[in-house]
Amino acid sequence: MNALILLSILAILVLYLGLYKAKNALLPVSLLGLGAGLILALLEWNSGAAPIYDGMMHFDNFAVAFTSIGIISTMLILLISKDYFEHISDNVAEYYAILLFALVGILVMVSFNNLSMLFIGIEIMSVSLYILAGIRKNDYKSNEAALKYFLTGAFSTGFLLMGITFIYGSTGSFDLGLIKNYVISNPAEISPLLYTGLILMIIGLSFKVGAAPFHFWTPDVYEGSPTIITAFMSTAVKTAGFAAFLRLFMICFAPLHDFWMPVLLVISVLTLFIGNVTALYQHSFKRMLAFSSISHAGYLMFAIIALGPDSVNSVVLYAAAYSIASIIAFAVLILVKRQTGSDNFESFNGLARQNPFIAFTLTIAMLSLAGIPLTAGFIGKFMMFSTVLSEYHVWLVVMAVINAVIGIYYYLKVVVAMYFKSAERSEIQSSPYFNFVIGFSAMLTLIFGVYPSFISNLF
Amino acid sequence: MSISLFYFVAFLTIFFALLVIFSKNPVHSVLYLIVTFFTFTLHYIMLNAQFLAIVNFIVYMGAIMVLFLFVLMLLNLNEGSIGSKSNLLKMVGVIAGMCLIITLVGSLRALDTSDPLVLQTQDLGLVKNLGKVLFSKFLLPFEISSILLLSAMIGAVLLAKKDIKQV
Repeated sequence: MNALILLSILAILVLYLGLYKAKNALLPVSLLGLGAGLILALLEWNSGAAPIYDGMMHFDNFAVAFTSIGIISTMLILLISKDYFEHISDNVAEYYAILLFALVGILVMVSFNNLSMLFIGIEIMSVSLYILAGIRKNDYKSNEAALKYFLTGAFSTGFLLMGITFIYGSTGSFDLGLIKNYVISNPAEISPLLYTGLILMIIGLSFKVGAAPFHFWTPDVYEGSPTIITAFMSTAVKTAGFAAFLRLFMICFAPLHDFWMPVLLVISVLTLFIGNVTALYQHSFKRMLAFSSISHAGYLMFAIIALGPDSVNSVVLYAAAYSIASIIAFAVLILVKRQTGSDNFESFNGLARQNPFIAFTLTIAMLSLAGIPLTAGFIGKFMMFSTVLSEYHVWLVVMAVINAVIGIYYYLKVVVAMYFKSAERSEIQSSPYFNFVIGFSAMLTLIFGVYPSFISNLF
Repeated sequence: MSISLFYFVAFLTIFFALLVIFSKNPVHSVLYLIVTFFTFTLHYIMLNAQFLAIVNFIVYMGAIMVLFLFVLMLLNLNEGSIGSKSNLLKMVGVIAGMCLIITLVGSLRALDTSDPLVLQTQDLGLVKNLGKVLFSKFLLPFEISSILLLSAMIGAVLLAKKDIKQV
């Protein structure tokens, strides 16, 4: 709760800094505020928090873990946004403020204990993202992304709200605890409205996390939005979506596992195949990352399918690994695009000769996304697969392994371009901020890959 | 008397809702939609839900639908300018819509139906009770929605303002 208040005030403070033209203070103040928010959130670890404000919020360890992932990703993204927003327009302070507001929404989403809070959290985050997707006002692709995101987002919110209404109609409450009591106390005579509501909520949330068959907005929106915003969407936002998904199903609907499990199973397998197979055919690195983010949604879904005590742990680890690796990928993409003006695979040709450090970190990120051992991505995939295996979904793991193999092909395409294809190019001038972010993230990826117990035994 | 009134208003609702989708001219569609919302207001009044009735009347019928109408007129959409969908697409739409109807009707049928007019708690929808709940139990969501409005407001100004610096 303290972190939530702090971040809200921070966003307003940033707006005021913009008003008084204190441009140089924006980044340090935002980062300091985020750091303080992170500390406040971490202080609540294991504090035995109870639901607060009439059971509206519950800042438990689950919320702390996902809040930390969100805040750290945002800090790293803000670091690489240095000079980026200035290229777009003069109103930099507003961009920072809206980004921080989106983070507030994420905090609400990961700590909700009442369906009304879930809805408000998702809306705060989504509305901020609709705006951020369209901040390049003179770029048609950005306009298209914002409009598409807004329309599909508003449409999916309809499903979500309808689902919440049906659940309220059958249980008579928005409170997660009371819904759970309802589900447990009358297993024989659960109202059919609850099942309808459950399916509608699955549809709404699948839209938000970009899982097939509700993924069709993802590639265009990710490609059209400014790269920084895409990085934010595919890290912090995706993590928050899955946290909300998992929290809802873990607390309320675990007893109805047999009912919704087949639905999620189909969604997950579809997501894996559509994401991975389409990613094979992409020429643009950014679009490839968009499809790869769809396919990672499929892997993350495994934890919800095999709902159990290990689910939270595997989602935290997988989401952290995926976020860190994505941040490296997007940071390098920004650097390359700034130099060559294109985000195709060809623009990475010969990068290793001129910028060995950047090429090396990008290689680590790609290996982590592909799930090669000694990187965080491998540990994430390993935990996901073992949770699913413990529930005896052997053929699901077989599918997932096939998809992981497909994934290796397109992730390594960029590595091949960097190391084995030559091209005339000059050295990319990278700022210390960029070097810090990609170096730090690559280090984290390796640390989690070698000593996963740092993060895998949290719960 | 009142049960027949309920069925009459319910009939009007469905009738105008059908007209919304079957009229060729988008402006007519919107006008029928306004009438549909008006019949919703009547339903709310019959259910003794004051607040919903007022909000539905002012916000939906008044503000949002007029906005709709303005947008349609500015876009200058006329009959035929929407373009016809292929038959395959229509079939898919019909099948999907019917599936949704079957699911919803099926789940509603399995419920115990109550008398549409006899309220379990008489003063459920009164403004006074709603206000009490909003400022006690639901205080946190109410306050946090201010952040939603603030960020939407900043965004609207940001996107609508003319940028001096051209990229």
